[in-house]
Amino acid sequence: MKAVFISYNQSLTFEVQAILDKLSIRGFTQWMDIKGKGSDKGEPHEGTHTWPELNNAHLSMVEDEKVDLLLAQIKTLDEKVPAQGLRAFVWNIENSI
Amino acid sequence: MSLYSTAVKKPVSVIMIFLGVIIFGMYSYLNLPVDFFPKMDPPYISVMTSYTGANAEDIEQNITKILEDGMGTLTNLKKMTSTSKDNTSVIALEFEWGTDLDNATNEVRDAVSLVDKELPDDVENPIIFRLSTSMIPVMIMTASAEESYIGISDILDDKLIQPLNRIEGVGSVFMIGAPIRAININVDPRKLDAYQLSVEQIGQVLAANNINLPSGNLEMGKSDIPLRLEGEFENSSVIKNIIISNASGHPVYLRDVATVQDSLKDIKSYERANGHKTVRIMVQKTSDANTVTVANKIKEKLKKIKQTLPPDIKIETLLDTSLNTQASISNLTETILYALFFVVIVVMLFLGRWRSTLIVALSIPISLIAGFIYMYISSNTINIITLSSLSIAIGMVVDDSIVVLENITKKLERGGFARESAIYGTNEVSLAVIASTLTIVAVFLPLTMLGGMTGMIFKPLGWVVTIAIATSVIVALTLVPMLSSTILKYKEPDKNTFTGKLYFLSQAMLTKMDDFYENILKWAVGHRWLTIAGGTFIFLSSLFLLKFIGSEFMPPQDNDQISAQVKLAQGVKLDETIKTAHYLDSLFSAKYPEFTVVSSSAGVGDENSLASMFQETGNYIITYTIALKPFNERDRNIFEIGEEMRHDIEKLPEIEKFYVDPGSSKNQKMGGGSKMEVKIFGENFDKTNLVAEEIYNALKKIKGTKDLLISRDREKAEMKLLINQEKMTFFGLNTTMVANAIRNRITGLTATKYKEDGNEYDVIVRYDEKYRHSTNDIENISIITPTGKSVKVSEIAQLKHYYALPNIERENKQRLVKVSSAIFGTDLGSIQQELDKKLETMDIPDGVSIEYGGSIEDMQDSFSDLFMLMALIIILVYIVMASQFESLSEPLIIMFSIPFAFTGVFISLYLFNATINVISMIGMVMLVGIVVKNGIVLVDYINLLVDKGNSLKQAVIAGGRSRLRPVLMTSLTTILAMLPMIVLKGSGSETWRPMGITVFGGLIFSTVITLVLIPTIYTVFGVGKIKRQKKAIEQKTV
Repeated sequence: MKAVFISYNQSLTFEVQAILDKLSIRGFTQWMDIKGKGSDKGEPHEGTHTWPELNNAHLSMVEDEKVDLLLAQIKTLDEKVPAQGLRAFVWNIENSI
Repeated sequence: MSLYSTAVKKPVSVIMIFLGVIIFGMYSYLNLPVDFFPKMDPPYISVMTSYTGANAEDIEQNITKILEDGMGTLTNLKKMTSTSKDNTSVIALEFEWGTDLDNATNEVRDAVSLVDKELPDDVENPIIFRLSTSMIPVMIMTASAEESYIGISDILDDKLIQPLNRIEGVGSVFMIGAPIRAININVDPRKLDAYQLSVEQIGQVLAANNINLPSGNLEMGKSDIPLRLEGEFENSSVIKNIIISNASGHPVYLRDVATVQDSLKDIKSYERANGHKTVRIMVQKTSDANTVTVANKIKEKLKKIKQTLPPDIKIETLLDTSLNTQASISNLTETILYALFFVVIVVMLFLGRWRSTLIVALSIPISLIAGFIYMYISSNTINIITLSSLSIAIGMVVDDSIVVLENITKKLERGGFARESAIYGTNEVSLAVIASTLTIVAVFLPLTMLGGMTGMIFKPLGWVVTIAIATSVIVALTLVPMLSSTILKYKEPDKNTFTGKLYFLSQAMLTKMDDFYENILKWAVGHRWLTIAGGTFIFLSSLFLLKFIGSEFMPPQDNDQISAQVKLAQGVKLDETIKTAHYLDSLFSAKYPEFTVVSSSAGVGDENSLASMFQETGNYIITYTIALKPFNERDRNIFEIGEEMRHDIEKLPEIEKFYVDPGSSKNQKMGGGSKMEVKIFGENFDKTNLVAEEIYNALKKIKGTKDLLISRDREKAEMKLLINQEKMTFFGLNTTMVANAIRNRITGLTATKYKEDGNEYDVIVRYDEKYRHSTNDIENISIITPTGKSVKVSEIAQLKHYYALPNIERENKQRLVKVSSAIFGTDLGSIQQELDKKLETMDIPDGVSIEYGGSIEDMQDSFSDLFMLMALIIILVYIVMASQFESLSEPLIIMFSIPFAFTGVFISLYLFNATINVISMIGMVMLVGIVVKNGIVLVDYINLLVDKGNSLKQAVIAGGRSRLRPVLMTSLTTILAMLPMIVLKGSGSETWRPMGITVFGGLIFSTVITLVLIPTIYTVFGVGKIKRQKKAIEQKTV
């Protein structure tokens, strides 16, 4: 099992959810209306008058064989709409109950 | 969950809610009555008191003064004017508009009853009379006839008046100038003297013979039959054969001493329509009925009635107040439709996509429909005010939708998905949209707080625009995102289709325009002091234009009516007056093809009729009421025609005074042109008369003054009979007997009533006409004394000429004379300025003071109200902006566009040859809110770019370029929505044209200036720089 953290422009909420559903990844934790800024490019998403956009984030525990599939689909989505802002990060699960 | 995300997620609910609104709106629209102006009760109450036998000065001192003192403290009393003339005192109380008149009437009643004790004993009780709009006739018709003229009164009563009276909403119908059948018995006084008879004796004989009496019962066998004696005249021809006396055994028949004519009552009046003998029929409505509905019902009924009338009776409409209303309303509706069309075209050109255009355009009908719902709920009517409010709103209700849609489209272009782009796109601009709408609300909501007559007019305007704009925000935040998420598609249009070609063409042109603007902006920012100096120069030089722009209270309105009054010398006989009337009748009918009905009346007519309240009557006065063809069917307006009529009337030497009143504004207070009035206060008649004469002459020399009148009439000639008491009592007579005797011989004695077909006609005995013409005739009147002797009037009384005191007018307890003038070819303000100059050189005696009244007074009152309002609105707009920007200086930068809006107003008023009046002032007030909106859009975006890290200059230029289209689009929609108001001509258009011109010119000019000057001033203030520095410091300290 790996933890996949997906941080994305709110505008992509529906699409991200669709990808997860398609891969039958049921479990997730979602944060709505959060701020974010890319490390090197892209507009900040701060929910202010200047930078009005905001992010949502998904944290899902994904079976190892699905991780690459998921990342690939997310990458395709990001490449389709590069200006929106979409990133995913994967790390190991040490333990769980 | 926010409003817009709910809306996007529940499209069916949103559609249903708006469908509900539309259905309710349609229902309201269909049930809304139509009227010309919003319902307003004129705040006037009059108190009339009669005191028989007292002259003007007695009346003034003993009645008017006492009543005035009693009523001085009434709540909301604005002005108290009074007229004291022989026998009557009339006090007119003017209250503030919007006063509860029921309360006011009660207060007046209380005040009158308090001072009642102080009035002389034999004064009749003061009558309190409340003027209401229902007194103004809805329709005036003329019925002209040839053969049937004699019986016209009965025919009309049966066939026209009764049926009309039964119509719901009709208050009363009455005839003016109807001939009344009467049996005239004209006696020859010499023959009477010869037979030792008197008028009274003839009267007694006639009355005693014309009678039916029950004479008991006759018992015959088993039956009991009532017995009646029938002496009533069977027909009018039997009267002349009645024996009135016996002279030495020979019977004296009535025909021996008099001629008997079954003809018409000798009414001292003259009524003609287009030269034919006529009767005027006036229809009043009940106060809660709607003019247009009532008029339509009357017209429908008239069609049926006309078929039942004898063929020679022609019914024509002289005045139909509903026609003008309907024409104005249909005109304004046309204006609104054109405005809608223009707005849609502008949006289509800028957006280039029909789906987007559709979404934006949808907000127009929905917002307007909300306006109708408001009108229905608040029991307003569809009138020229509420409709023009909608026409003003059209250009503004799309603004919010445009902003929202633009942001959603931007998101879609960047690859967003429909639903999310709609929700988050709306979210990002929702605050900005609400704030910029607040500035508009800050302008229109205070309009609802205006007082006075202007307040009554502009209250509905304020509400309707506020509600339409508020609805448009709701639409922009719900329906627009919802529709965007469902029907908006982002794809490059196909170059081969028509819409695709249009899209690429318009986008190419817009990009060129963007480039052009960017270059200008670059230059301006590079030469900012030169730019600012240029702007200041333009503004200051526009102030000089003010000298050439006239001012007035209300724009003159062509309402297809002209009235006129012609006065011959006082004391001229009706016959002479009729000659002049004949001449003028035929002249007017022949010379002016624009006239449809020329109705003239002269003489006193029925003194007691209601009509005499509306117009001054007298044997030497001819009154004209003229109906004209509708405005769009003629080349000249009523003012030009009126001016030519003045030239025609002037040529007649016998005419002493006259006025021509295009629009009949004297009676109705609305419509028509402005009136100049100078009030001269002072107790001394001679002094004030002199000053009035001087002002009259001064006004006469000023170009453009017409129909000059001094309100105080010259002293009028009267004859007085001075009775010698001693001689009178010697003959056993008293004053009443003498007075009655003379009255019976001159005016006539109504001896009895002749009955025919259930109607009664007076039988009037009096001297034949040729025996009541001169002072000699009066002196030769014989009166039979109680002892049976005959005495001539000359034996007991003397006839003397004397001059009666003029009417005494007062205002707020001070005597005054008014000099008034109509205006043609110039404006009120200019005449006032010229008169001011002349007044300075005049020598005004002590105890005399001068004030302006009439339209000038109204103008000053409402202008000062409007200036206050403008100050208030500027402050409110500043408050809204300052809190939106969280800055004190940025709103100031934006407000620089306001003076240039006024520059544009002055230029366009000058070019269109319009004046500054209440309507254009309201336009200027509205501009304050509309023009700052552009500035807000611009400055807000420049701020954004500065925050995003651009340099000041970069931000200004890029921001300007990027905001050019939204600014132009929202401005153009408003500007073009005004265009039909200016261009379309028709009934009622004159009223709204100044507003169209004001907003049109002001907005064009200020938009151009705003686009160049505001970014330039922004760089001068260097607001962006300071902000960035601040931020930098903050970041360092954190």
